[in-house]
Amino acid sequence: MAEDNQADSSASFRVIGTRPIRHDGIDKVTGRAKYGADYSFPGMLHGKVLRSPHAHARIKSINTAKAASLPGVAAVITGADLPTIASRTENLGEGVVNSRYISLNVLARDKVLYDGHAIAAVAASNIHIADEALKLIEVDYEVLPSAMTVDAAMKPAAPIILEELRNKEEGPDKETNVANHIRFTRGELAEGFATADFVVEQAFTTAMVHQGYIEPHNAVGIYSNNGFATIYCSTQGTFAVRSLTSQVLQIPEGQIKVVPAEIGGGFGGKLGIYLEPLAVLLSKKTGRPVKMVMTRAEVLRATGPTSGSKIRCKMGATRDGKLVAAEIWMAYEAGAFPGSPVGAGAMTIIASYQIPNFVIDAYDVIVNRPKTAAYRAPGASNAAFASETVIDALAGLCRIDPIDFRIMNAVREGSAQSAGPPFKRIGYFETLEAIKNSAHNKSKLEGLFRGRGVASGFWFNAGLQSSAVVNLHVDGTASVMTGSVDIGGSRASMAIITAEVLGIDVTTVRPLVGDTDSIGHTDVTGGSRTTLASGQAVYEAAHDVLRQLKERAARLWEKKPDEIKFADGVFSSADEKISPLSVKQLCRQLAKTGGPVTGKATINARNAAPAFACTMVDVEVDPDTGKVRVLRCTIAQDAGRAIHPSYVEGQMQGGTAQGIGWALNEEYVYDRDGRLRNTGLLDYRMPTCLDLPLIETVIVEVPNPAHPLGIRGVGEVSIVPPPAAVANAIYNAIGVRMTELPMSPPRLLKAILKRRHAEAEMTNAAAD
Amino acid sequence: MFPASFEYHRVSSVKDALALLSQFGDEAKILAGGHSLLPMMKLRLAQPAHLVDIGAVHELAQIQEQGGRILIGGLATHHSVETSSIVKAKLPILAECAALIGDIQVRNRGTIGGSLAHADPAADYPAAALALEAEMTLENPGGKRKVKAADFFLDLLTTAVQAGEILTQVSFAALGAGTGGVYLKHRHPASGFATVGVAAVVTLKGTNFDKVRVGITGLGAKAFRASSVEKALAGKASDAIAAAASHAADGVDATSDTYASGEFRAELARVYTRRALEQAVARVKA
Ligand SMILES: Cc1cc2nc3c(=O)[nH]c(=O)nc-3n(C[C@H](O)[C@H](O)[C@H](O)COP(=O)(O)OP(=O)(O)OC[C@H]3O[C@@H](n4cnc5c(N)ncnc54)[C@H](O)[C@@H]3O)c2cc1C
Repeated sequence: MAEDNQADSSASFRVIGTRPIRHDGIDKVTGRAKYGADYSFPGMLHGKVLRSPHAHARIKSINTAKAASLPGVAAVITGADLPTIASRTENLGEGVVNSRYISLNVLARDKVLYDGHAIAAVAASNIHIADEALKLIEVDYEVLPSAMTVDAAMKPAAPIILEELRNKEEGPDKETNVANHIRFTRGELAEGFATADFVVEQAFTTAMVHQGYIEPHNAVGIYSNNGFATIYCSTQGTFAVRSLTSQVLQIPEGQIKVVPAEIGGGFGGKLGIYLEPLAVLLSKKTGRPVKMVMTRAEVLRATGPTSGSKIRCKMGATRDGKLVAAEIWMAYEAGAFPGSPVGAGAMTIIASYQIPNFVIDAYDVIVNRPKTAAYRAPGASNAAFASETVIDALAGLCRIDPIDFRIMNAVREGSAQSAGPPFKRIGYFETLEAIKNSAHNKSKLEGLFRGRGVASGFWFNAGLQSSAVVNLHVDGTASVMTGSVDIGGSRASMAIITAEVLGIDVTTVRPLVGDTDSIGHTDVTGGSRTTLASGQAVYEAAHDVLRQLKERAARLWEKKPDEIKFADGVFSSADEKISPLSVKQLCRQLAKTGGPVTGKATINARNAAPAFACTMVDVEVDPDTGKVRVLRCTIAQDAGRAIHPSYVEGQMQGGTAQGIGWALNEEYVYDRDGRLRNTGLLDYRMPTCLDLPLIETVIVEVPNPAHPLGIRGVGEVSIVPPPAAVANAIYNAIGVRMTELPMSPPRLLKAILKRRHAEAEMTNAAAD
Repeated sequence: MFPASFEYHRVSSVKDALALLSQFGDEAKILAGGHSLLPMMKLRLAQPAHLVDIGAVHELAQIQEQGGRILIGGLATHHSVETSSIVKAKLPILAECAALIGDIQVRNRGTIGGSLAHADPAADYPAAALALEAEMTLENPGGKRKVKAADFFLDLLTTAVQAGEILTQVSFAALGAGTGGVYLKHRHPASGFATVGVAAVVTLKGTNFDKVRVGITGLGAKAFRASSVEKALAGKASDAIAAAASHAADGVDATSDTYASGEFRAELARVYTRRALEQAVARVKA
C-alpha cells in the first residue's frame, strides 16, 4: 500500500516546515530527562564486566570462587552461564546480525578475540565492590598470535580468529578470516578502460573510528519470579533489544519488556546489545534489579566502532569528462565477528555516477578488534573517501570544474544503480546545483596554503516497520505514540505531522515513545527511517482520527461522512444552517457520539528513497606542521521534505562534524600486543566546537515520490562527503594527495616531507 | 575515578599553610586550583592524606610591579595573568602564554604556582618562565629562598620545590627596549596542552642578536632552555635563525604518544623555534 502513495509536491503546509521548540527540550536542558544511568530501583545491585587484556587468547580456565566470596558480591557469571545457540541472522535496518556471534560477543566462551572482550560479570551491592571483585577473578590464558589489520588477517598463514568461519569461495574445508566476498560488475572493464584518456589509480587506508556517542551503554535488568524480564536501557531499538536478548538468553520474546530511556547519542552504535542480557541474567541469579553502566574505556574498547579499511580505486574518464570504467577492491575490518559494512560500501562507492563498466570486489574480514557496529551511513564514508578523491583527480586531469564534472556524470531518475533497480526521482543533480549556487562557492578563497574541496555522498535510507497511535483528548489536544526512540528530534516531527493532519496547534500535541508492551512492533531508530516510516504511520494514524471525527460530525449533523468538509482544523457542511465546529469543539461531543477517538496505523515501509549530499570545505594547511584548519564548510543535502528544518540542519551539521573528525583526527591506536592505547576522550580525539566553523546548510527538497509527505530521511548521508572533501581541499591548498585517514598533523607532515624530498631529488637529478 | 579519602584544611595565611605542611610532612599536599592535583588523585596517582587549600590566601594572588620587576603571586590564576594590565604592558609574551592555556574554565581556576610546581611536561608556563629567566620564591618554615628558572625544573613532574615548601611568588624582569618575546604552541588536539610549545625572547643590538633565550616545553620529560640554538645565534643576524632552529631538539629524548611520535615532536620543536624567533625579532623591529 505504501508504494502507491503519491507525494503531493504542490502541497502547502501549515505546520510542516516550521520550527517549533522540541517537546522534550525543557526536560533535557533542565536535567529532568531520564537517561539510562538515571534509573534506580529499590534493592538494586550494580554490575561490572571483566574484560580481556589480550587481543587473542584461549581461555584455559576461569576461577570465580574468590570473587564470589567477597562480601557484598551477589553473583558472578561467565560464558558457561549462557546457552549455546546456533547461527541465526536478522536484519536490524543497518545490516544483518547473527545471534550466535552476538552471544559470543556478550560473553566470551573458549577464546577471547579482542582487547576488551567480555569474559565475566559481577553483581554487587555497589560498583566499588563489583570493581574489586573483578580483580579477584582468575583467568588462565594461552595467548595466541593476533591479526589486527585486514592485511594481516588475509595473509595465507594468518592466525585463525574464528575456527568455525567458512566462506563460499574457499569452501567448507578452509579455515579463513574472510567472512564474505561480494562482487558487482557491469559492462566490460578492459574495453571501458581502453576508451579512457585519463586513468587514476590510488590505494587508500582508513582508520577504525568510534561513533562517539556521549552517553555510555547502560542497562537495568529486572527478572521476576514469574519468568518475565524488564530491561531499562538507552537503545536505538527497544524491539531489537527484546529480540536479541530473547535469543541470547533463550527467554521468549513475549516475556521480555524493554523500556527506552532517553538516549544520549547512538549513531548506529546502540542498535545491538552488550549489557542487557548480563543485567537480566545477574538479576535472575540474585532476585534483585541489576544496573550496569559502562565506563568510557569500555565503550571504546568493546562497543561500536566502525571499520578501518583498505581500498584500491582505479577509474577512467574520457578527455571530455565522461566516466567510462571503474575497478575497485575493498576490504573492511569487521572486528572479531563477521559483518562489516563492506557490502554497503561496495553498493555506494560509485552509486552516484553513471559508469558503464565496472568491477567491485569487496571483502568482509575479521580481525582481533571489537566487533564493528553500524555508524551513520555505515561503510559509505570509507568508500567515498576513495572514489570522491579519485573523481576529483580525474576532474583535474580533464580540466573540468569538480562540481561540473560530477553534474556531467551524476545519476538521475532512470539511471541504473550499481546493485538494484533503476533510480526513481532523486535529487543528486539538485544537490550539486545547490552547492554550485551557494554563497560559499561564489566566495573567493584567498591566501597562502588555502584550498577548497568538494565531495559528494550517497545513502540508501531504510523503510521497515513502524506503529503509531494517536489519542484525542476531551480538550481537543492529542497525544501521539510511536515505538521510535527519539535521537534526532523525532518527537517534534511526529507532533508536527499530527498537528498538520488534524489542523491543531503543534504545542497541543504530546509526542510519546512507547515501550515494547505499549506499542506495536517498531524497528530501530536507524537507517534514517524514523521520520519516513514512523512519520508515515503517524500520518496515517492521524488520518484515521480525522476519518472518525468526520463520522462523528456527520452523526451530530445527520449527514453522510463524505458531506463533511474539513479545512484548517474546522469541520463544516454545505448546509448553511449548521455552524462549523473546530476539532476542539467536536472533541467535547465525543462521549455523546460514540466515545473516545483513537487512531492507529502500522506499516512496513518499502518506499525509502535515497539521499544525496554534497559538501564544500575550505581549509588552511600549515605546511611545516601538517595542521589543517577548517575555515568554512557548507553542505547541501536532499531531505525530500524537511518536516522540522532545524532538526534536518542539525543532522546535516552533526554528520558533517563527525565526518570532519574522521577526516582529521579520529583513530583507534593499538600497540604491538593488540591493546587499545587510546581508551579515553583525551586520547581518542573527537572534534569540538573550537575545531569547526559554523557548518552552513542548504536543504534541498526533491520530494520522495513514493511517500505521502515526500520524506526521504536525513540522518546519515551528511557523514559521507567530509573525508574526501577535506582531502580534496588539502590537495588544492598544497598539492599533496592524502590517501590515508585520519589526516592528522603527524600524517600530513609525513606526506608533505615525502613530497618535498621527492621534489628535491628530482631537482638534484636535473642538476646532475 | 574516586580519590582515596583525605582530610581537607583551608588556610588563610602562608604561615598557617606552612605549619600544616610541617605537621603532616609527606602526607600533605598544597591544593591551589586543583586542576592538576584532583585528576591525579582521582586516578590514584596521588593519594595525599591531607590537602592544604591555599585558595583563600588572597595576598598570594596579587600581581604587582616593583623596581622594574613584575611580581606574580603563586596563586594568580591564568586568567588574571592573561588580563593583567601590568603583564600585558610589560610582559606581553606571558599574557599571551596564559591565554593559550586550556580553556576558559581552566584559566579561571588554574594557577601559575600550581602549574610551575606541578611541572607537567606539556605545560605552557615552564617554557615562558625559562625564556624570561624567571625567579621563583619558595617559602618554608625556616624562611625564603630564591631559585632561578634554569635550576627549577629537574625532571618529569619534579621541581626544586621541597616537601613543606610553598611557591609564593614568581618574579620576572620587564622586557626592556630592544627586546621582544613570543610564545607559540601546537595544541594537543584533545587536552589543549602543548604537544610542543616554544618561548623565544630576543634582544637585538643593531641588526644582530645581543641575547637570545629559548624555552621549549612538551618535547621531552621537562621543559628546557635550547642552549644550542641560543649559542648558534650569538652575535648573528636574523638570517641565521633557520639554521640555528634546526638544533632545537638536539640531545633531547623526545616523547612519543598515541598522538605524536618523538620524530614529529622534534620537527614541531624546530619549526616553532624558527617561527618564534622570527616573530620575536619582528616584534623588536616593530
Ligand atoms: C582540561 C584541562 C586542560 C588544561 N590545559 C592546559 C594547557 O593547555 N596548558 C597548561 O599549561 N596547563 C593546562 N592545564 C593544567 C592547568 O593549567 C592546571 O591548572 C595547572 O597546571 C595546575 O595549577 P593548579 O592551580 O590547578 O594546581 P593544583 O592542581 O592545585 O596543584 C598542582 C600541584 O602543584 C602543587 N602546588 C600547587 N600550588 C602550589 C604552590 N603555590 N606551591 C607549591 N606547590 C603547589 C600541588 O600540591 C600539586 O602537587 C589543563 C588542565 C585541565 C584540567
